[in-house]
Amino acid sequence: MKIFSESHKTVFVVDHCPYMAESCRQHVEFDMLVKNRTQGIIPLAPISKSLWTCSVESSMEYCRIMYDIFPFKKLVNFIVSDSGAHVLNSWTQEDQNLQELMAALAAVGPPNPRADPECCSILHGLVAAVETLCKITEYQHEARTLLMENAERVGNRGRIICITNAKSDSHVRMLEDCVQETIHEHNKLAANSDHLMQIQKCELVLIHTYPVGEDSLVSDRPKKELSPVLTSEVHSVRAGRHLATKLNILVQQHFDLASTTITNIPMKEEQHANTSANYDVELLHHKDAHVDFLKSGDNHLSGSSREGSFKETITLKWCTPRTNNIELHYCTGAYRISPVDVNSRPSSCLTNFLLNDPRYKIDGSLEIPLERAKDQLEKHTRYWPMIISQTTIFNMQAVVPLASVIVKESLTEEDVLNCQKTIYNLVDMERKNDPLPISTVGTRGKGPKRDEQYRIMWNELETLVRAHINNSEKHQRVLECLMACRSKPPEEEERKKRGRKREDKEDKSEKAVKDYEQEKSWQDSERLKGILERGKEELAEAEIIKDSPDSPEPPNKKPLVETDETPPVEKSKGPVSLLSLWSNRINTANSRKHQEFAGRLNSVNNRAELYQHLKEENGMETTENGKASRQ
Amino acid sequence: MPTVVVMDVSLSMTRPVSIEGSEEYQRKHLAAHGLTMLFEHMATNYKLEFTALVVFSSLWELMVPFTRDYNTLQEALSNMDDYDKTCLESALVGVCNIVQQEWGGAIPCQVVLVTDGCLGIGRGSLRHSLATHSQRSESNRFPLPFPFPSKLYIMCMANLEELQSTDSLDCLERLIDLNNGEGQIFTIDGPLCLKNVQSMFGKLIDLAYTPFHAVLKCGHLTADVQVFPRPEPFVVDEEIDPIPKVINTDLEIVGFIDIADISSPPVLSRHLVLPIALNKEGDEVGTGITDDNEDENSANQIAGKIPNFCVLLHGSLKVEGMVAIVQLGPEWHGMLYSQADSKKKSNLMMSLFEPGPEPLPWLGKMAQLGPISDAKENPYGEDDNKSPFPLQPKNKRSYAQNVTVWIKPSGLQTDVQKILRNARKLPEKTQTFYKELNRLRKAALAFGFLDLLKGVADMLERECTLLPDTAHPDAAFQLTHAAQQLKLASTGTSEYAGYDHNITPLQTDFSGSSAERM
Repeated sequence: MKIFSESHKTVFVVDHCPYMAESCRQHVEFDMLVKNRTQGIIPLAPISKSLWTCSVESSMEYCRIMYDIFPFKKLVNFIVSDSGAHVLNSWTQEDQNLQELMAALAAVGPPNPRADPECCSILHGLVAAVETLCKITEYQHEARTLLMENAERVGNRGRIICITNAKSDSHVRMLEDCVQETIHEHNKLAANSDHLMQIQKCELVLIHTYPVGEDSLVSDRPKKELSPVLTSEVHSVRAGRHLATKLNILVQQHFDLASTTITNIPMKEEQHANTSANYDVELLHHKDAHVDFLKSGDNHLSGSSREGSFKETITLKWCTPRTNNIELHYCTGAYRISPVDVNSRPSSCLTNFLLNDPRYKIDGSLEIPLERAKDQLEKHTRYWPMIISQTTIFNMQAVVPLASVIVKESLTEEDVLNCQKTIYNLVDMERKNDPLPISTVGTRGKGPKRDEQYRIMWNELETLVRAHINNSEKHQRVLECLMACRSKPPEEEERKKRGRKREDKEDKSEKAVKDYEQEKSWQDSERLKGILERGKEELAEAEIIKDSPDSPEPPNKKPLVETDETPPVEKSKGPVSLLSLWSNRINTANSRKHQEFAGRLNSVNNRAELYQHLKEENGMETTENGKASRQ
Repeated sequence: MPTVVVMDVSLSMTRPVSIEGSEEYQRKHLAAHGLTMLFEHMATNYKLEFTALVVFSSLWELMVPFTRDYNTLQEALSNMDDYDKTCLESALVGVCNIVQQEWGGAIPCQVVLVTDGCLGIGRGSLRHSLATHSQRSESNRFPLPFPFPSKLYIMCMANLEELQSTDSLDCLERLIDLNNGEGQIFTIDGPLCLKNVQSMFGKLIDLAYTPFHAVLKCGHLTADVQVFPRPEPFVVDEEIDPIPKVINTDLEIVGFIDIADISSPPVLSRHLVLPIALNKEGDEVGTGITDDNEDENSANQIAGKIPNFCVLLHGSLKVEGMVAIVQLGPEWHGMLYSQADSKKKSNLMMSLFEPGPEPLPWLGKMAQLGPISDAKENPYGEDDNKSPFPLQPKNKRSYAQNVTVWIKPSGLQTDVQKILRNARKLPEKTQTFYKELNRLRKAALAFGFLDLLKGVADMLERECTLLPDTAHPDAAFQLTHAAQQLKLASTGTSEYAGYDHNITPLQTDFSGSSAERM
């Protein structure tokens, strides 16, 4: 259905003239004697609805179904007509609900049988209906604004459903002529207005209703084109449930609805709580829901649906849903429904069952644009190692308090304090010579010495913190604390290393690659095999990583992944992050563009040692360290 | 999207093609050449896709059932015999059967019809089929439109002039029209030769078989991926916005959400997301491009060693039971999730939602979704024991708001009986009694059904007289009060018949002795 088809705007014009106060002559027993009552009470006399009551409740039912299935973009304007037109609501979305209409109808009240019939006419309402059809809806306005110069592509079509009691066929003809004439006039007006739109197409549905038992003075007539703009159809319907049935048929036709009956729904009996019987519930919905059914040729069409409805219904057997809601099922369509018989017990049992999933009201706390989410993802992924064996800090429980807050946009004083505590704690660990979960993968022998491990850890932590120093001044303070506390001054470290250098030179040369030059290391198939083989022990050792899932086929045959995904900071363990891959790549790309300063290239913590050539004669290697700390 | 190749093997396909060179070609050779090219392209870029080969003349035969083995398809091309006359309709019926049997009616399928534009003679010829098209009954309906989403590509081993000299082109165009315009006719530009056939099939490949490559992004994490099958353009609204929407080649993840919250949403289409590798120079290596198998293997080996974001993402989604929401374009989103295709194997997949600001009403507007940390209070609760979804609609649907419908007498009777039942249990049920009473009062006022109010008032007065001696004195007071109020409302005067006015319980006090004197 096009957005701006005739169904976009429906105007109800209901006759409020004195004769509508007449009884529909269909009795309703309302004083149903309940069992076990005292004998001898005569039930109160049945009452009957007026033509007005029948018209109003049938049109409300039409609206109920329409609003259920199209809560947006299908609009109703309700007009009652007597000595003048009373427009009960507007096209705005806020006015589009049953409560509003019911309240407005109550304010109008039933027609006054003693009013002067000469002053009253349905014509007032019909003229107002045409007028209101020319008024632009917020959706039309929005579409026109969006299309700018193509604004004329936005259609203005509508439907007038007029419920009245007509005197004769020629009376009906007169009403049609009046509508046509009014459209002609108002289109002229609309042509010169910015706020009004010309009516391109109007469907007039005239419903003549009369008391049960009387002869109709008006004959039915199928849809007929009266002019290129106006089509008209006439329905002559007895009041009471006949009128309701007619409007039910019309709402299905007007909004392309179809019916599905859910059969065999087990429900507890009211009287006998421990027994259950099976019920059927008929639902209306857009007929697209049946398209695939009909295509499959597997028609579950059952002859006729229960009482009243004219259409065929597709029957589906109820299947009690499994409680497992963590599985995704392939779903090609979801459709809004409306129960045909909304307050029958089976219907309300079904809808309550479906609605009774635990629900929570949202209080606007999530009213934050998606952009904030993207922004957060950006921050969280600035430093995110993808391979467990290539991160130290994210294998350490002790780092979590810092890692979980440093990615935030802004820090509280308490956050800063926690970060500082984390750093002091690490210093303490280093002093006590606590072991670190450093990967020994790809290295021969025992892997790096303890102080080397700490150096790697401090470097990585610095990388993480540096990735966020521009977030705020407090982030900066965390870095300052880190720089002040991190192990020895570089000179001292260098000296120590120099001493050690000779004994495990071989070890070193292989390790040198390790730091963050992942790209190189990944190409080293020897090392990769090592990772694959030792990966498992690794995981157990690190004791932090969750189950590795199966990987999709192509490149990686073996899961080498961190597994915490959602807002990673929320979870207390298994920290997160990568970026060295990214930053390395960027750095490599950037460094190709210019010749790096020799000093920076060889610097340690951005300090370059002078007169290195003197040391190099002693077999010194400086580059590995430099790479890591350079940002 | 599976493909059915439908190859014309009627005698007319053996007509020689005059080529200046020494070798003599027939049209079927040209056709086979073009199809070879298509199969080769698919073998490299569409490895996962299934293709079937049907040959037809007056009869049709399924030469190769749906397969991913392009060698088999290739071999079949060289083993085709020549048969009698062209009978297109029966072949198309055959295609319907084959596809429906294998894929049902919901999977889109491409049909590549290769013919020379000679449409047969007499019964069963396309002209005959089209001429009798309007006189069909349901039992022998024309096979078009195909009973599944489809594209019909007609590859003519003839050039435009030749087809236009008869009514062949018109007939073929009718075919596309009958398929609801889904499809296209290709003809050879210029003389019939291998080169021009190649360029014709090249156009088909460009139109229908170009792989969709994209960059999957999540903050700074990225991966080059192929999205398979290729997402097709989508038209949102024919009237206002008739331009087909195409998805971005930058697929940006905007957030993650629990599977339970998104709960099996309706989707337009589903696609595999396959990582592809880029080598140092930025050229693609993993999927396609390289013809040399060895190169490809070594490239794949290298790719296998590079940590890939797809692997991380897939694993994480699987473990956490979540999906990633991905931006496909302006106001267009989809989801990435792990889909198990067996106990051991699962894949990263992407499904496309319908374009629009609010494709899934229970999540509200996509742009209004934000990070948990931005919420004042964690909407999932401290123990992860609740969820902000599904969102409540601003206006409840009729079935969730206890509407009053009296169209059937039973509806009215139930409502009256509810009041009566509660009336008999006064004063315990005072609250429910007045709640039901007010509900009935409101509806009666809206429907202008004032007689009902009078009737119910009478009924309550009668109940009052029937109260047993043991009844609490309050019951009589409340019944009288309620009846009185209903009577006032039934006059319809604005003073008493206000819609928003509620009848409230009479304030009584039976706690002390004072009540006795009332």
